[in-house]
Amino acid sequence: MRRLDHHWFRLWVILPVVLLLSACGGSRESGEAPASFIFARGADAQKLDPADVDDGESVNTMAQMLEGLVGFKPGTLEIEPRLAASYSISGDGLQYTFAIRPDVRFHDGTALTAETARFSFDRQMDPTHPAHFPTASFQYWQNFYSDIERVEVVDAMTLRLHLRQPNASLLSSLAICPVWLISPAAFEKHGDQLPFHPVGTGPYKFVEWRSSEAVVMERNDDYWGGPRAGFERLVMRSIPLNTSRLSELLAGKIHGLDGIQPSELSDLENDPRFTIHEAPGMNVGYLSFSMLSEKVQDPALRRAISMAIDRDNLVQLALDGHGSVAAYPAPRGYLGIPDDAGPVRHDPEAARKLVAANPQWAQQTLELATFGQPRMYFPDPARIASLVRNDLEAVGLQVEIVNREFKSHLHASRRGEFDLCLLGWIADTPDTDSFLATFFHSRAAVMGSATNISFYRNPEMDALLDSALRVADSRERERIYRQVLAVWQRDLPIVPLVQGNQITVLDHRIGGYVLSPAGNHFLGPTYWKGNPSPE
Amino acid sequence: MSNVSKKQPQKSVPLIRFVLSELRRFVVIFLIASFAIFLAIESMPEDPVSLRVKNPDPQRIEEIRNALGLNDPAPVRYVRSVLDFVSLDWGESLISGRPVAGEIGRYLPATLELAALGVLFGITMGIGLVLVAHATGWRWLLQPVRGLGALGLTIPIFWIGLLLILLFSVKLGLTPVGGRFDFAYPNPQGTGFHLLDSLLAGDLQALWISIKHLALPVATLGLYPAAVVSGTLEARLGESYLQRLVTALRARGFSPARIWGKHVLRLVSGPVVTVIGTQAGALLGGAVLTETVYSWPGMGRFLVDGVLNRDIFVIQHGLLLVVVLALLVVTSADFLASRLDHQLARKDED
Repeated sequence: MRRLDHHWFRLWVILPVVLLLSACGGSRESGEAPASFIFARGADAQKLDPADVDDGESVNTMAQMLEGLVGFKPGTLEIEPRLAASYSISGDGLQYTFAIRPDVRFHDGTALTAETARFSFDRQMDPTHPAHFPTASFQYWQNFYSDIERVEVVDAMTLRLHLRQPNASLLSSLAICPVWLISPAAFEKHGDQLPFHPVGTGPYKFVEWRSSEAVVMERNDDYWGGPRAGFERLVMRSIPLNTSRLSELLAGKIHGLDGIQPSELSDLENDPRFTIHEAPGMNVGYLSFSMLSEKVQDPALRRAISMAIDRDNLVQLALDGHGSVAAYPAPRGYLGIPDDAGPVRHDPEAARKLVAANPQWAQQTLELATFGQPRMYFPDPARIASLVRNDLEAVGLQVEIVNREFKSHLHASRRGEFDLCLLGWIADTPDTDSFLATFFHSRAAVMGSATNISFYRNPEMDALLDSALRVADSRERERIYRQVLAVWQRDLPIVPLVQGNQITVLDHRIGGYVLSPAGNHFLGPTYWKGNPSPE
Repeated sequence: MSNVSKKQPQKSVPLIRFVLSELRRFVVIFLIASFAIFLAIESMPEDPVSLRVKNPDPQRIEEIRNALGLNDPAPVRYVRSVLDFVSLDWGESLISGRPVAGEIGRYLPATLELAALGVLFGITMGIGLVLVAHATGWRWLLQPVRGLGALGLTIPIFWIGLLLILLFSVKLGLTPVGGRFDFAYPNPQGTGFHLLDSLLAGDLQALWISIKHLALPVATLGLYPAAVVSGTLEARLGESYLQRLVTALRARGFSPARIWGKHVLRLVSGPVVTVIGTQAGALLGGAVLTETVYSWPGMGRFLVDGVLNRDIFVIQHGLLLVVVLALLVVTSADFLASRLDHQLARKDED
């Protein structure tokens, strides 16, 4: 009796399991053109208000929907007219005049005119403007555009910017996100909810934002420029864990990703299903000496440290070769930055001699501050720190690493609370000033909010940096920046270490993608080219 | 039977007293927790407003801090934070500018859906396997249960999640890798619980999409409760009075399904509920990891990001909400377990 019971009961147990398993039959996706291009990154956009954000994810999202008066020629840092059909700069450099491109409409149907274009400037420069939101930072206005005194609507289709003083970096600043144009009608409609309803003129238009999941966009069929967008929809997903993001790509659920670590690339490099786009990013990872610290006041010590560090080794071991040695405080190719190996030489022998000649240096323990989370310039900041420590200990110095979470590290850095500090800078504009003034101008050495984290204050340096902005002639600017570099080389408040590569991985069937040296994704021109025909 | 009805009026007094004492405990713990969280935020040296931006302008930062009321005296801010929490006015995220309450309204259902199904799956697996093993006499079924116990308790959820993704999503292509829903298909609207919403809308396609996205995260999250439950159960089943009960019931000719599925299950459900209740914290930790691995837009990720970004209103109100919810879970588990034990005690008397 008991055995029989068991047999019947076993059948009841097995049956549902078998049924369940047979119900789970999956099918793989076919190779047809998908309606949606799905791109994934490591974090969600913060706000879709061009005037209030500096995170790459927000800018990369808006780059599909918004455009500026001028823009970068795809794949280059050359300025070309965009929503302005043409522009001219007065001889004294005080007036920028833009002929607004005719027959362009924002996604909400508002016509682009000089009047609708000025909205994006006015709301940033005028604190009483209704769209000057009380908690928005408008940080870039202060940094890049504060020389604009007045915006004038000359006629319906002509916009003129009047400057207080000439600013040679302004034109390239006009190509970047903070002054991409948004529709004033969108503000009328959405009020302070504007940051969640971006309305621009770009190849894709906003559909929906599922926060921390994805921003969904659709093709703008009335796009004024070039070919229409290549996909019906564009989805920019946020997938925080790199391994999960890679798995999505390997499983064919997404068509592209960024934010991947160099060490994770090796699996993809030999996989014919993917194309890796890689180029130097607009960044410099550096070692800073705090001028507020007693221990690193001696320029000779700073020189010894710079010579002790094997930067090639950092590129090979901490960036897995996906980057390069930073020869100068601004990347190669920038105005006034020589195309050579730079003045910092790896010479541990000379460093050792210097340390031996100054025994007091070896008496003190230097605090080297670093952080946990990967950045484009330091994919593994803790590793960089230990390599630097090894190099410094090899020449007889004592180093103690302090590893903090990124925001705490940033907090300490901006107060100059360290002896040595690892940090980097990802520039917003391709102008030399955006690196050099950030690192060396005393204006940027304000306690608690410094970007000049060395708190390097030198009137000579300030004067050079200021004068470089006031001259329009690029050869003259170049000459001034060479002088800036000479002062940097003499005082050495920072040692540039590495420049990280920007890396985008795409399904090999996606065409039309060009990596932008400015560091943003412009996915408007991408299209589905299907399986490449065998040749 | 008459016994029970006579007891009823007497029992209602302890019930009210029970509720009142729980309520008092609740308020005290709430106040302590809110103050502790406030202190923690207060002792944070970093200024979240200036750390949000790459290139802070000190003057503008002060303006923003004033607009947010961050420059008011600490006691004012503490009282305000408590009043704000109670009145559900939770401010806006410093990072995204979205209302914190609205964000939590989006993320909480996602987490609850995942956690509830995970726990349900875990309990079902844990109880099911153990009871089935005993009922069928398939002792080998207990091996995976013990293995599962070791697995669920020792192996990081992270790793199990990634293995499952590699197997079921990348190799077999059966399940999505992560996320909660398909972006090519309109999101079910309503309560925020996707299964419920798609059922209410009668949208079978949406239901299927939701189930596919839930499958791996639920299995991953369920592993830990399954291990805990099966362990507790196995220990309990070894007790001699249960052994005797089973023998007695068998002798009466009851079927295994009836013995194990009804009588034994009822007797062991009390401890299982208590165990799940007290493990709520560990479950929450598991939910955070599961959400990260499966890109699940839930509370765990929201709070962790909030802390990393020093997003004070998110930390203040989000954490407090978690404390309140955890209190609710523990209290109701206590209550439920005590009720089940009453029944148990009465049964024994009969």
